[in-house]
Amino acid sequence: MTATLLLEQVFNGLQAGITLFLIAAGLTLILGIMDFVFLAHGSQVMIGAYAASAVTIATNNFYLGILAAIPITFFCGYLLEWLIIRHLYRRDHMDQVLATFGLILFFNEAIRITFGPAALFSNFPPSLAGFIEILPDTPYPVFRILIILVGLVCAVAIHLFVSRTRVGAMVRAGASNPEMTAALGINIKILFRFIFAAGATFAGLAGMMIGPLTSVEPGMGEPLLILSLVVIIIGGIGSVRGAFIAAIIIGLVDTIGRVMLPMLFRTFMSGPTADTAGPALASMSVYILMAVVLVFKPTGLFPPKGA
Amino acid sequence: MILDLLKKFTTLWVILFLLALFPIFTAAFDLPFWNDVVMRIMLLGMAAMGLNIVFGFGGMVSFGHAAFMGIGAYCAGISQYYGMDNGWYQLLISVITCGILGLVIGFLALRTSGIYFIMITLAFAQMLYFFFVSLEQFGGDDGLIMDRSDFIFIDLYEPLRLYYLIFLTLVFVSIVLMLLIRSRFGVILQAIKSNENRVEAMGLNPLKFKITGYVISAVICGVSGCLFASWQEFVSPDIMHWTRSGDLMIIIILGGLTYVAGPLVGAIVFLLLEELLPDLLHVVFPSIAENWMIIFGPLLIAVVLFGKGGLMGVVGNRFTRPAARKDQ
Repeated sequence: MTATLLLEQVFNGLQAGITLFLIAAGLTLILGIMDFVFLAHGSQVMIGAYAASAVTIATNNFYLGILAAIPITFFCGYLLEWLIIRHLYRRDHMDQVLATFGLILFFNEAIRITFGPAALFSNFPPSLAGFIEILPDTPYPVFRILIILVGLVCAVAIHLFVSRTRVGAMVRAGASNPEMTAALGINIKILFRFIFAAGATFAGLAGMMIGPLTSVEPGMGEPLLILSLVVIIIGGIGSVRGAFIAAIIIGLVDTIGRVMLPMLFRTFMSGPTADTAGPALASMSVYILMAVVLVFKPTGLFPPKGA
Repeated sequence: MILDLLKKFTTLWVILFLLALFPIFTAAFDLPFWNDVVMRIMLLGMAAMGLNIVFGFGGMVSFGHAAFMGIGAYCAGISQYYGMDNGWYQLLISVITCGILGLVIGFLALRTSGIYFIMITLAFAQMLYFFFVSLEQFGGDDGLIMDRSDFIFIDLYEPLRLYYLIFLTLVFVSIVLMLLIRSRFGVILQAIKSNENRVEAMGLNPLKFKITGYVISAVICGVSGCLFASWQEFVSPDIMHWTRSGDLMIIIILGGLTYVAGPLVGAIVFLLLEELLPDLLHVVFPSIAENWMIIFGPLLIAVVLFGKGGLMGVVGNRFTRPAARKDQ
């Protein structure tokens, strides 16, 4: 029983971690390369989820929804960078925090006005609604498996892109030393805009995929934003590899902690105390982990080389 | 000494004077609701003034100061839960708890800087937020309903007693801040903001000053939170939600972060916008009156992009003297 439960939670943790990675991958580059505190990345998740759900509901086709939402989120990211973000790179962090905080307020209200305050429900197609047995007698939803697979494909693609291509080399150079990269004749403005739009797209993709699992509602991206910030800090700002490892760790710790810690506490504590201490510690575990990492390694586990 | 402070911080004194007389105005025009709004202005303004010690004068972007407000509020709430109604003791407990917590968090967080510092302060605030969310005994997510604290000699249920308790605390905090900013400590803190290496080269330990500033600001936020609990007659984790930390920063930037009075001006503008924008929208676009934030968000971006030095900087340069000059 416990083993089955544990396995299921490991998969749930993986799925949560992969989703976090998709959000964090772009954000870590935005923070690392542009030294830009971008809090409205959660809004990109929300935009992706809404775009996909709206098209899915209108056309009654889930795949069409995803297909339409990808260019929409890319365009949103591109436009946002061009309109506002590029004017803020040279400002100090507190200006960036405030301006992007303002963006969050704007996007949440814009969505609320357009789609109403209630959550939007879109179902995934019946073909994805089934279960498969990951082990004998351990069924697991196909849709979550699909999220993990898509996320892994994206992770591999991002990794190959960053480590094997010429543009990827520019991205890495930018993460280590933006001024030097610009001095070598690389058009860092275009590079920034491209990274920004690509990051927005991956965040949007995360939103599209978790949309049918959770509720698509205004402000849905904010808890995810905070968690992905934790991921980025633990992984080291600007490191895609660090973001991947940290995202998986955070996904697993968060998911398994919520299930296992209360059970663990109940074995050596009296009922009421355990019922309070277990969930309390579980919901704090991620942040405790981050604080511990920062105290011992103030620049995260895998800071980009030369930074 | 007092005369000197009177001359240097004119705006702050004028605002305090107006706040002292405000209840007369509301009584004359029969607008008791506005007393409530102004109490909130004073409470949030006080917390923002506390945060501004590290944020504006020390240059440390702490994204988690709402947590200290929450701790202060819960110190009052939990004390009362266990039957200790005395407001003065609750205030004392808030001050001690926030001081110790500020010392611990400041000591750990100030090992980092830049984006890492912003994020680790946010992480500690989230930690405390979720801690109180999961404390079922004290209401968890739903919060704890409480009575106004019992400040001996002052019955807060009598009209205006709470108003003037908050007001006098604000005056006290303002005087402390004015003295602090002009003291040796305040000057060094501002020097650290301009150039930490030079301060270190002068043989001073910047970390010591930064942590001291952090603790003082945590304590002021705690005091504000403790009174906030009495004002709201209710404590919930909502008071320490991360967006409130954002609100406090907005308040500071709106008002002007290099001025002692800045956060108070910011709080007035912020909460007046919050009260008046829906009404205003109701006249122009009735359909989106409840979505006033769609105006407020872009307004905020505009302030960041085009406003320099906040309202105090834009409006007040002629009347006031910057409490600190930023390297510009």
